[in-house]
Amino acid sequence: MTQPIATQALIIGAGPVGLFQAFELGLLGIQSHIVDALPYAGGQCIELYPDKPIYDIPGTPTTTGRQLVASLLEQLKPFNTPFHLNQHVETLARQADGRFLVQTSAQKTFLTKTIIIAAGVGAFQPKKLAVAGLDAFAGTQLFYHLDAEADFGGKQVTIVGSEDTAVDAAIELAKLSSNSVTLLHRRDVFKAEPDKLEAMRQLIAAGKLQLRIGQIAGFDEQNHQLTALQVTDVDGKTAPLQVDTLLVLQGLSPKLGPVADWGLALERKQLTVDTEKFQTNEAGIFAVGDINAYPGKKKLILCGFHEAALASFAAAALVFPDTPTLLQYTTTSTLLHQRLGVAQINKP
Amino acid sequence: MTHIVSESCIKCKYTDCVDVCPVDCFREGPNMLVIDPDECIDCAVCIPECPVNAIYAEEDVPADQLAFIKLNVELARAEGWKSITKRKPALPDADDWKDVKSKIGMLVR
Repeated sequence: MTQPIATQALIIGAGPVGLFQAFELGLLGIQSHIVDALPYAGGQCIELYPDKPIYDIPGTPTTTGRQLVASLLEQLKPFNTPFHLNQHVETLARQADGRFLVQTSAQKTFLTKTIIIAAGVGAFQPKKLAVAGLDAFAGTQLFYHLDAEADFGGKQVTIVGSEDTAVDAAIELAKLSSNSVTLLHRRDVFKAEPDKLEAMRQLIAAGKLQLRIGQIAGFDEQNHQLTALQVTDVDGKTAPLQVDTLLVLQGLSPKLGPVADWGLALERKQLTVDTEKFQTNEAGIFAVGDINAYPGKKKLILCGFHEAALASFAAAALVFPDTPTLLQYTTTSTLLHQRLGVAQINKP
Repeated sequence: MTHIVSESCIKCKYTDCVDVCPVDCFREGPNMLVIDPDECIDCAVCIPECPVNAIYAEEDVPADQLAFIKLNVELARAEGWKSITKRKPALPDADDWKDVKSKIGMLVR
């Protein structure tokens, strides 16, 4: 295990509320780190509704999940907040000095004075194939991300999935001439941008991409190597499909996961907080956004922003116990201008 | 509050919703799914997943579907209705039934 990263605040979740939380902490002079299970920031906004219009962000008549996340990241820039992506928090434990030791699934550890849980509906995880025994090949021949450290060159690659990530991967890999690429799905129906679907169909027509419609019924292995999938077609006929590398891109789904095991008070699997500090039953651990519960709670992004602001002030009282944190306005405060790096611009 | 599976699910059971549920609150009967109101956390992630728009937040249930609020509670606790946590193939003739209204009489308990 590596040396723990010491920080004043650790934010769990890089969705819109987690990102704004880092900004609010930054304004109060609190340094934070962000951990997220996805390989990119944005949470549900990016994973579930990247291009759907959102109409209820104050002062923003229309935006989309993708645009909102881009704006929040832009706003957060002055604070250079470190992101620790592609890993979820597994354990947290209070230390003798009052700080929390936090460990992630990538074996990264943090020693932090405060934790702000902005984990939404949980950590997004790849949807797996429901084929018994297949998971034994995970990491060697079975992958859930195209950017995984897989060697696709000269291999017989099968991609399983029907949505844009699967279609994109099929197009990208089919263009590499050294591959034999097969796209496998249970129905001949794919969901992606029209130009992507067109590109996919052209590659199929040109013989560069094979299309196989059917369900995976089982697999063959030799010397602990996956050699073929047994695929059952719509007529109920099962035939093998040779495979060296299997890329499963069926999308991601959130799972609440270890949050429920941290000994924090829960109400219907959500973290109960007060509405002054948005603190859980454990001093120093706060919960904001979709993951918390309190009387009158509404799961709206804008409510999460308010929660993040108040949680920041409560965290400041713990991080700087000897200095009261005063409310200052970004319109007038020289200190806030310095922290935002706009001190020069505002001078006449 | 909770979320409700309504009439459209009957005789279809596409199960797309099951995959995205973060708290595994779907229960499966012979020809329909329901949501266990004690487990649902109102995250609303399942609503857009349903290909037949069967799922509503409790407060948005249309007037002609109000009976399903009680039915979800009742069936989630009914004998033989088991937790379903992974997507599986829809009922074989799901596509023939997906646009049919008034299927409540065909609900198999």
